[in-house]
Amino acid sequence: MFTGSRRLPGLKRSVRDPGAFIRLARSNLELWANLVIIAWAVTFAILQGTGFAITLGTVFAIWAILAVSLNLVVGFTGLLSVGHIGFFGIGAYTVAVLTSNASYEQLRTEAIPTFGWPFFAALPVGVVLAGLTAVAVGVVFNRFRDDIFVLVSFGFAIICFNVFLNARAVTRGAFGIHEVAKPQIGGWVFDDELSFLALAVVFLLVVVLLSWFIVTSSFGRVLTAIREDERATEVFGYQVTHYKLTVWVLSAMMAAAAGGLFASWTTFIDPNSFVLLESILLVSIVILGGLATIWGSLLGAMTFVLLEEGMRFVPGLPDQYVGQARQVVLGVLLVLLMLFRPQGLLGRYRL
Amino acid sequence: MLRFAAYREGQGRILAAALTTAAAAYVVWKIAESPDQAVQFAFNGLSVGAVYALLALGFTLVYSTVWFFDLYYGAAAAMGAYGVFYLRTSETVGGNHVNNPYVSAVFALVVAGVIAWALHESLFRRLERRSNPTTLRAASGLLAATAGIYTGFVLTNPDHLHMLLSPAAGVTVAVAVGGVVYGVLQRLFVGTAAAPLLIISAIAGCVVGAYCGLLVAGAPGSRLYLSWIVSCLVAGAVGVALYRGLYVYMRQRARSPLIMLVASLGVLLAITAATAIVFESAPRPLPRAFGSDSWALWGGNIKGFNVFTVGVAIAGFAGLLLLLKKTALGRTIRAIGDDEEVAKVVGINTTVVIAIVFFIGAVFAAAAGLLSGHDTAIQPRMGLLLMLKGWIASVVGGIGNLYGAVVGGFALGMVEQFGIWDLAGEWKDVISFLILILFLSFWPRGLLPRG
Repeated sequence: MFTGSRRLPGLKRSVRDPGAFIRLARSNLELWANLVIIAWAVTFAILQGTGFAITLGTVFAIWAILAVSLNLVVGFTGLLSVGHIGFFGIGAYTVAVLTSNASYEQLRTEAIPTFGWPFFAALPVGVVLAGLTAVAVGVVFNRFRDDIFVLVSFGFAIICFNVFLNARAVTRGAFGIHEVAKPQIGGWVFDDELSFLALAVVFLLVVVLLSWFIVTSSFGRVLTAIREDERATEVFGYQVTHYKLTVWVLSAMMAAAAGGLFASWTTFIDPNSFVLLESILLVSIVILGGLATIWGSLLGAMTFVLLEEGMRFVPGLPDQYVGQARQVVLGVLLVLLMLFRPQGLLGRYRL
Repeated sequence: MLRFAAYREGQGRILAAALTTAAAAYVVWKIAESPDQAVQFAFNGLSVGAVYALLALGFTLVYSTVWFFDLYYGAAAAMGAYGVFYLRTSETVGGNHVNNPYVSAVFALVVAGVIAWALHESLFRRLERRSNPTTLRAASGLLAATAGIYTGFVLTNPDHLHMLLSPAAGVTVAVAVGGVVYGVLQRLFVGTAAAPLLIISAIAGCVVGAYCGLLVAGAPGSRLYLSWIVSCLVAGAVGVALYRGLYVYMRQRARSPLIMLVASLGVLLAITAATAIVFESAPRPLPRAFGSDSWALWGGNIKGFNVFTVGVAIAGFAGLLLLLKKTALGRTIRAIGDDEEVAKVVGINTTVVIAIVFFIGAVFAAAAGLLSGHDTAIQPRMGLLLMLKGWIASVVGGIGNLYGAVVGGFALGMVEQFGIWDLAGEWKDVISFLILILFLSFWPRGLLPRG
């Protein structure tokens, strides 16, 4: 993952020959990207104090789980899915509905059933539900390629958003669900920020290890073969559809786990967290970090989180425009990447 | 489990036919139940469908020429609507007037650049051999700068739009009328010397042009409609600038259409966010256009403005059809769509022709955006959804077919409106995407496949 093993070309030569410095920087772009982003994160944590760093860390962990899981689909099957936020939302809403105990006294019309399950009982349900949805969606979407797949995955994201918004009997629509339960193991409740961060990092580690296992196993090698030449792999006797569907479902389940974590962390969710735009941002994280690398997705998520917070220190930019300014920067970055480095910062595979 | 492919081929057709029949039966039953309401839904479907048809026309034109999905198209729709808002609204954003010199300067620069390039490609490339290139470059730069400054004036003084635009309108009309008169005269008096015909047509053009210019200058009420034209043209200019400044280089390197798609996704993301920064992300109304009161007709109500929208869609369709089927430019556009490499070999300047296609596409998107903006409200992220609807409509109609785009657009509008008869109105996006998935699964070539 780190490409630090590559030998650095002599620095001395760059002093005499300015062109050599550019070549040096370019040949080690991956290393530079790593160094700059990690240094940025550390500086941030030191400057802003630990409380802020913990919040950022949790946000980063959730985005990173999403990015790593989406990278399995985009990087290893070549299908650019813009609908991943749908699975995220399914996980979040399942956990929210199953664990919320809120009684909405003021708004009797929007009352929804309460179950009051613990978090760790609700999360597997959400994950399985997302997996089942992914099977159904995957079977239908199986025949689409390239840009048509992008279009239908847009459609999936929009359908999911509309279901969250309009199935009021379950999701309370635009009012959102309050008082989502915090995770609890025995008597230990993860209700302060630090312990939640620890939990999120554990989730992230599990997802990263799982993805790493998938990628490096023989299963992952078949996936790579499918991405490079689907027809040829089929000729060798592999059930291409099965492999693609499996990785799609696994990725959806990881996204749903991230969703459950998100719902429990914010304790309040409404459909605005699951709009199409978030999905586009997620795709840009994955492409920014690089396709088919786990480390790249982590770096992409880190950059994304740091970008927003970094924007707060741009002079003359009011706080309410920070999110929009980040989108402008991301958009420009996407264009530049597609021009000069279509595989993303650390990518192994070009779109 | 995954015998779905085989299943699709066999029972899939039957299933699709059954679904269509069921939908048709449902609609017929509802119409029989309450004809008045059906008329109302049909009117709504027509007015929504006209916007979708416009979007699908531009989309299908661009897509069937360059064969990649240009998501700037959505941004163009939003820019068309926000252009009108920028020029004509009396509202304020964050306590400030909407119109601000920086935004105007950006668009003036873009227009100047596009005009400089257009001059370079059209006029000066032909004069290159006869005159000094430095002079040509200076003249081209001067003309482009003048155009940019003029655009800047127009954009920063929306209250005097009719005065500022009257010379431009006069010149445009003069050139058009002069050209038409000259053409007619040439047909009538075959064999006559060109000079007297030219003089006569020039005089005719000047007179009509001057009259039109005065007419525009004396009618402050026309400012809204002038702002429509300005915002469509500016959106088109941005499309050309994007194509020439970005896509040309990208297409030389890109291996797959997905790279272009992601790049234009970046463009869309950046433009949408920039719009939200300049205008805030809350929905806004556009100023009232004509025809905002409704007429009772056959038991339903329809607004005059919606009839106008349908008219624009049909006129756009007719114009595009004429352009593509009857003119030399249209033939080259179709040639590039069939095979760009061969078109290049044959000697077509593909860059210029594709730039024109992008311009037309963006103008269609902007027109659709501002028409739908007058009908409902505008918000920065409207572009993405409008573009997706145009995309769906062109898939339903058959990508690359103009008739298909119009049919698909109106069909999509109708189905959306009839579909929410018993459901709540919020489900209409779900309906259109379900239709898309149904079509892509069972009729991937659309209702009217490309010939």
